[in-house]
Amino acid sequence: MSDVNQESTERLDEQARLEICVRILEEEVSKQAVEHAEINPLSLSMPTLIISKQHWYRCAEVLKNHEQLNLTYLRSMAGADLETHMEVIYHVTCIERNTDYCFKVKTDRDTPSVPSVTSIWPAANWNEREIYDLLGIQFPGHPNLKRIMMPDDWEGHPLRKDYEPLDPEV
Amino acid sequence: MARTEELLLNVGPQHPSTHGVFRLIVKLDGEVITHAEPVMGYLHRGTEKLAEELTYTQIIPYTDRMDYVSAMTNNYILCHAVETMMGIEVPERAEYLRVIAMELQRIASHLVWWGTYLLDIGAMSPFLYAFREREMIINLFNELCGARLTYFYMRVGGVKWDAPEGWLDKVRNFIPYMREKLEEYDQLVSGNEIFLSRVKGIGKYDAETAIAYGLSGANLRCTGVKRDLRKDQPYSIYDRFTFDVPVREEGDCYARYLIRMEEMRQSLNILEQALEQMPDDGDIMAKIPRVIRPPEGEAYVGIESPRGEIGCYLISRNKPQPYRLKFRRPSFFNLQILPELLKGESMTNLIAILGGIDIVVGEVDC
Amino acid sequence: MKGIAKGLGVTLKNLTRKKVTYAYPDEPIEMPDRFRGVQHFIPEKCIVCNQCAVVCPTQCISLTGKPNPDPTKKVKLIDTFDINFEICILCDLCTEVCPTEAIVMTHNFELASYSRDELFMDKEWLQANNKKVRKENLVKPSRVKKGVK
Repeated sequence: MSDVNQESTERLDEQARLEICVRILEEEVSKQAVEHAEINPLSLSMPTLIISKQHWYRCAEVLKNHEQLNLTYLRSMAGADLETHMEVIYHVTCIERNTDYCFKVKTDRDTPSVPSVTSIWPAANWNEREIYDLLGIQFPGHPNLKRIMMPDDWEGHPLRKDYEPLDPEV
Repeated sequence: MARTEELLLNVGPQHPSTHGVFRLIVKLDGEVITHAEPVMGYLHRGTEKLAEELTYTQIIPYTDRMDYVSAMTNNYILCHAVETMMGIEVPERAEYLRVIAMELQRIASHLVWWGTYLLDIGAMSPFLYAFREREMIINLFNELCGARLTYFYMRVGGVKWDAPEGWLDKVRNFIPYMREKLEEYDQLVSGNEIFLSRVKGIGKYDAETAIAYGLSGANLRCTGVKRDLRKDQPYSIYDRFTFDVPVREEGDCYARYLIRMEEMRQSLNILEQALEQMPDDGDIMAKIPRVIRPPEGEAYVGIESPRGEIGCYLISRNKPQPYRLKFRRPSFFNLQILPELLKGESMTNLIAILGGIDIVVGEVDC
Repeated sequence: MKGIAKGLGVTLKNLTRKKVTYAYPDEPIEMPDRFRGVQHFIPEKCIVCNQCAVVCPTQCISLTGKPNPDPTKKVKLIDTFDINFEICILCDLCTEVCPTEAIVMTHNFELASYSRDELFMDKEWLQANNKKVRKENLVKPSRVKKGVK
């Protein structure tokens, strides 16, 4: 990455960054990879993209390795049960340019599963375990997907909205 | 040739060096660690689950108990997330009080780390020195908000109390005192040959690994990556202060040690400037609606806690309770690199490496 | 060896310093005024508005009211008022919302006991806990006067 190039990307505003990211993913992965793209005004104008599940692994590779994006730093990872579907939310950063993106991958609620990105961002390892533990989302490709917070013999996934505690007093 | 059988060793869950209940299953070949597997969850209280049924004000005391060594920054991250979503402008004086509280907290937190780290690797007296100074900060907090550890000081839109009379002067007097003590600490420990041989070159990793594992704080900056959210994505009023972000290239335990020592000095600089610039009076609370309901949507914000980036991801459905609240805990991310670091290390270095990461188990397990 | 010698110098210097420890529990500790300790409850002031029980993050307060014996007054009287100190986190929210300051903080913090049952405090105990009551209780940051938004 040359200095000139870095300079010019730094000056880009969020909208431009979003458009570049969508273009790269469509060119490198698939026209159907990006389901939706917008700027999230509530979250400090974070460019937010919804990626289709079957393209997610390939997209993650491109995000990390494409020289215009270079998103090497997984800042945060969260799972959410939105009642109609489930979502895994990734916040990824390029350290050199200090640019943030948010990616979401939707999955259905009955057999939730999202491809694991541990081999791309090792930081995802425990986060995927935590999301599996608390929300029951499977991550095919994860090296060691087992419970991390709850005891191994725990029944159910507490952060799911349909979770019923065994003992309501506890 | 003598052969050794593989030995399975359990470190913890009740072990003094884990600073909480945290277990490490270590496989040893002689003195050398071949495999290490952290087991956690002993302190998991389900903060994120509990939060879904509480109002935002009620969640703040729960955040105190996540990273109990640095409760002020935890308070701030939740307030900051809600304020960002609702577009609340916090009054100037409240912002200064928050910064003063957070920087004092950073010093207190690093002092705990400094004391306990040296205790872990066999030096008893620094712990007593560190806690003597930390006690002064805790007394200051006790006067400010009425608690010694679980402060519950910040609220959405401001802070609960204004500084009591004479409190700011006490902070002002603390700064030169602490500077002098930091000199003393350096003389006591930083040049000690035994200490150096325990930390220099131990637990080394490079910038690429640090970034891949999502490390933050001193654990990232010890590899030459200059990332401090106070500078890179200024929140609150951090853009008004001049301070350095200490960075080192070595990537070993000693680099992390030096960075944290320097961070304390920089925090003192920020405190000095904050006291200087602080308006004499003014509101400490923004005008906020009685029931706090962030608009429908979601937000992620991150700030620099003493241990690294603490973040808060919040999904709101325009209700008084959050729909989903997720904390990005720096200790949880930082700890992930541990098995990688321990592989091939000698058993004696286990504690030095674990301590160098600076984890708080309450935060790992949340 | 130079570093160790330097460190020893610091230790020697500290030998002559004044002590900073105190002889707790032989000598009681004075807490600053804002300290949040075990609550003191004043039944006469309570209007049974239930706000403290609602705002409590751990639901450790339970209370019941009874009708006022004086039929001209609408305000209920407090009947029972219990705080479970097994789960109370002394967060100060109950005293913050109380409109009449019927519940206030004190500086007492020593709650250790041999049985968990002893941590369940009733109205009488809380009323009798009237030593070292916090002076400054009036600050209510979450309040916004009506009409101001």
